[in-house]
Amino acid sequence: MINDQNASVARTTVRELPAYSSRRFFRVISIGGMMLAWVIISLLALTVGSVEIAFKTVWQIITSHLPFVNLHGDWSPTTDMVITGIRLPRIFMVGAVGTALGVAGATYQGLFRNPLADPYLIGVAQGAALGAVIGFILPWTFGGGYIIPFLAFLGALAAVSVVYLVARVGRTLPMMTLILAGVAIGSLLISITAYLTMISADKVQGILSWLMGSFSVSNWDQFKLIAPLIAVGLAVIFLYARQLNVMQLDEEQAQQLGVNVERTKIILLASASLITAVAVCFVGTIGFVGIIVPHTVRLIWGPDHRLLLPLSAIGGAILLILADTASRTLMAPSEIPVGVITAFLGAPFFLFLLKQKQKSVF
Amino acid sequence: MKDFRLFAAITAIGLLGFAGCSQASSQQTPSSYTDDIGRTVQIQGIPQRIISLSPSNTEIVYALGLQDKLVGVTSYDNYPPDAKNKLVVSGFSTIDLEKIITAKPDLVLADDIQKKDAIPALEKLGITVYTMSPNNTDMIFNDLKVLGHISGKTKEADNLVSNLKSRIKVVADKTAKLTDLQKPRVLYVTWHDPIWTAGNGTMIQYLIDQAGGTNIASDLHGYATITMETAVQRNPQIIIVMSSMGAQNVSLDFIKSNDQFKSTDAVKNGRVYEIDADIFGRTTPRIVDGLETLAKLIHPELFK
Repeated sequence: MINDQNASVARTTVRELPAYSSRRFFRVISIGGMMLAWVIISLLALTVGSVEIAFKTVWQIITSHLPFVNLHGDWSPTTDMVITGIRLPRIFMVGAVGTALGVAGATYQGLFRNPLADPYLIGVAQGAALGAVIGFILPWTFGGGYIIPFLAFLGALAAVSVVYLVARVGRTLPMMTLILAGVAIGSLLISITAYLTMISADKVQGILSWLMGSFSVSNWDQFKLIAPLIAVGLAVIFLYARQLNVMQLDEEQAQQLGVNVERTKIILLASASLITAVAVCFVGTIGFVGIIVPHTVRLIWGPDHRLLLPLSAIGGAILLILADTASRTLMAPSEIPVGVITAFLGAPFFLFLLKQKQKSVF
Repeated sequence: MKDFRLFAAITAIGLLGFAGCSQASSQQTPSSYTDDIGRTVQIQGIPQRIISLSPSNTEIVYALGLQDKLVGVTSYDNYPPDAKNKLVVSGFSTIDLEKIITAKPDLVLADDIQKKDAIPALEKLGITVYTMSPNNTDMIFNDLKVLGHISGKTKEADNLVSNLKSRIKVVADKTAKLTDLQKPRVLYVTWHDPIWTAGNGTMIQYLIDQAGGTNIASDLHGYATITMETAVQRNPQIIIVMSSMGAQNVSLDFIKSNDQFKSTDAVKNGRVYEIDADIFGRTTPRIVDGLETLAKLIHPELFK
């Protein structure tokens, strides 16, 4: 009887060995497949917009810009500008911001072991919003309007730093204190932002547009500024996937298993906050991506951060590209703020997934 | 017992009302006007203490020479400069009921934006409220005439209106002869991220039409956003940017320096202009100044 049980345990362990390697295969396939989906969706997004340009022309224009291709068509320089100077950089920006928000959300949820955590939990968005609003109402500007993203970025980092300093107890950083400090300081910042918005009635239009998020003026310069920062942040976070897995137990056990918990927390918090700040500074505080994407990935692929983090990056990019495509085509030639779309599409989709998986997971 | 009290109360109120009416009719019958949001307003006698709850209403009060009777304005009222010396009783969307009551107005000139909160609150206090929110020049003329009639300045109002109409005619007569090809494509911008513009049914559309231009956003309705690619693809020959209050104009800098706009004729030919938000954003007699300015920008060869 006992032998039988031992044998069955041994059998399952043995059976899990090939299963583990097939998990590895599964990881590669999942990430590769999602990457492919990202590329295909980006290319399709490139062919639609408020200006109608034939599918074939879009491809010819793109091909004509590839090295070693000598192709001349009958499209106008304006059409070329619409594709390569407006739509293409916009799709790249959307993708970069989507990866940042998706991964930041997954990281925060892992760190706080809290399903309600999102990239804006500890003051990044509120600090960015206050910075941006100050940028809006300052009586001077510099660098062709770069003052708003610059101050939004500074505001985001300043807010998180203050939250961190307030929450720190001696050498440790209790996560509950961090959340509470984040919520309190966030509310304070929101009240200041609301007051500044109210007293500058002539700027309300711009401020509201920024708060709801928009990629309407995305260009290559913006992409070149944010992409390297986001790439570095993502790389650091991906390297800590295993530690995040271990920290799902609890901090004490993780410490006993050899994870330097305090250092890991600070590195992950700093990286996730940095990429969030970079993501929102140009395009505004787009909601829902950071909370819905990691959950969706977890519901489909499970909680292993080695898979969850990269898939949240790709999922974030895909969701935001779909939302932005809707934002610039549904009411063309007008634009709907992308934050409105992410909430409108994201929430029902997420509820549907939740309902589907309810029987097995929850 | 209860019913009797109610009956008595109603009778008393009725009698008071009757007494009020008979007293009024002995002096002058109240005139009835319909304001810009369709309310019927009874006005009796000539108002002596007027409060304006919007910058454009204040401009209209001054235009009719009624400034001596103006006892309260909003914190945004900056034209004419003398308006800044008046008592401030309101922000743009928030009004200070205490200050308004203390100023004892017999006529409050409200704005459309206040119809859900301030106007009912003032009505409840028994204050006469007339709403002026003109959307086009005809409504401006109508408001000028009504306010002129209410305040015993009928003749001044008529003169002002006919003067404004003839100035519009001078511009319209010149632009009427233009063919569609001679009317440059105009993009109007109030904010650049996203690009906010004015479509059909707006005062801006009317002004661009009268000034001999073609609004490239005329397929939009009201004030709306327009995607960058559509704005660039429709290739505006002139871009008009609304000025920003007290600050350097971020939108103007953006359009002049942005790579994506470089392919438009407007940027290539340096025809990106800034216009005064106070003149173009308010519906007042000064809108005719705006029309003349716009006509000069769009057709410098016709208007020297």
